[in-house]
Amino acid sequence: MIAWWQIALLTLYAGYQILDELQIYSAMSSPVFAGFVTGLVMGDMKAGLLIGAAMQLTVLGVGTFGGASRIDANSGTILATAFSISSGMKPAAAVAAIAVPVDSIMIQTDILARSTNTFFAHKIDKMVDQYNYKGIERYFIAGALPWALSRMIPVGLALAFGGGFVTNLAKILNTSWKWLGDGLATAGAVLPAVGFAILLHYLPVKKHFAYLILGFTFTMLFSTVFGNVQLLGTTLAGVAKGFTTSFNGLSMLAIALIGFAFAAIAYQQTTSGSAGGGANAGSGSSAKATDEKGEIEDDEL
Amino acid sequence: MTNSKTPTYKLTDQDFRQINRRSLFGFQLGWNYERMQGSGYLYTILPQLRKIYGDGTPELKKIMKTHTQFFNTSNFFNTIITGIDLAVEEKEGINGEETVAGMKAGLMGSFASIGDSIFAALIPAIFGAIAANMAEKGNPIGVFIWIVAQIAVMVFRWKQLRVAYNEGVALVTTMSHRLAALTNAATIMGVFMVGALVATMINVKFAWAPKVGTVPLDIQNSLDMILPKLLPALIVGGIYWLLGRKHMTSTRAIFIVLIVSVLLSALGLIAKG
Repeated sequence: MIAWWQIALLTLYAGYQILDELQIYSAMSSPVFAGFVTGLVMGDMKAGLLIGAAMQLTVLGVGTFGGASRIDANSGTILATAFSISSGMKPAAAVAAIAVPVDSIMIQTDILARSTNTFFAHKIDKMVDQYNYKGIERYFIAGALPWALSRMIPVGLALAFGGGFVTNLAKILNTSWKWLGDGLATAGAVLPAVGFAILLHYLPVKKHFAYLILGFTFTMLFSTVFGNVQLLGTTLAGVAKGFTTSFNGLSMLAIALIGFAFAAIAYQQTTSGSAGGGANAGSGSSAKATDEKGEIEDDEL
Repeated sequence: MTNSKTPTYKLTDQDFRQINRRSLFGFQLGWNYERMQGSGYLYTILPQLRKIYGDGTPELKKIMKTHTQFFNTSNFFNTIITGIDLAVEEKEGINGEETVAGMKAGLMGSFASIGDSIFAALIPAIFGAIAANMAEKGNPIGVFIWIVAQIAVMVFRWKQLRVAYNEGVALVTTMSHRLAALTNAATIMGVFMVGALVATMINVKFAWAPKVGTVPLDIQNSLDMILPKLLPALIVGGIYWLLGRKHMTSTRAIFIVLIVSVLLSALGLIAKG
């Protein structure tokens, strides 16, 4: 069961996260943070982090392009984590069984919020005509309501009334329909591939394909080595009592630093390549650009 | 007609702080399908417009209507446009209206695409990947590393208004050169990280073990001898191809992958690794 205070806290967070994403974008509106918070509230941080990580990777390339509605990974992560912990469903299965369907349903409430705000935009037009400055600001701030409620209402209702259904579902997936439970867990493990593929579509892969191979090969080799050493360590520790050293896994931060070094080299090459005649080239291009801009504004410059 | 209407108000530090506060904590609250960030743009600079044009004047109404028109750009770069805009309005008042409207429409598109690619895609991809990788091992530190990075981005968002106000349109040309180099470097890191993620974060393996005579053939082990992590690479390649098909959206792709994975798992071909 999910306690009332847990429902209240998670519902509040569901409202906060969309406002955070729209405004300060602090990364507290990311699926991995949503998993972390929900895990803490539900008393199992690790399960939350696991589900959050899987959803984070699944939506890795899905940015907010041009204000298009997109899959709402945060609400899905909140529900999947809360129900996974309260009903005993495997985290990987919860990603595919709860988070993904919830995410896609929530696209509709996102569209509803954006439509509702059109109403406030027209109210603001009226206030402009009446020189009602407080009114303009009031109706603008009111836009926060459709945004927050579009997340809080579905998440709150689902948490309050969905528990029984999900508990039964978890029971079936763990017993008579185990093939489906395992399948959903496998799907949860494959889903990050979608995020990576979307990201590749967005990045200039053809231009930088060599770095794709480098990133893959470096990491593949190191993770194989690190993984095998870890396996060796645990096996040895099981056999020999005197062996107490434990080995850590591959640090992704280290891999990111290698990538950063490649990026830094490329940046230095492009800037030094043209900045050799730095000032001249700069002023030349700016003169050209002001000419282009000239059609828009010729009196200001 | 001109002299009496040229405003005399000069923006102060307090004004800049107010604009930044409103931009950071309120710019997109009014986002709607009709005019997107239009009302947000007005809200951000409303107090300053009132000071420049004076309450209740026809000029103020005219400029308020201009600023509620359709506007949509990256919310990481919007105050650059605001800064350039206010420098013009402060000097020319309502005479600068057409200039300002043209400048806004001209710049919003390019800032939207640069801003989206750097701040909405690349930074979340790189830091999200690091955070997710640590989170998979039960470690929340990666999440906080990302938050620190985003705070640095907020400082950047706060600073750019003043710079844009001082330098005007010239800023856009000096910046575009730097930004192009920066975007190129960032995409290299992005591509590199995707390669790294494919190799670590897709934990799935072949479970199929056909029998040759009486000995089961361990396909996964044979593949590991050729190239470890071949299956994840193939899966990403396949989805990349799928996403290039007509009428394919990310949501559809996610569901297709979900269903196909469940089927292959049920048939015993693949399993969670």
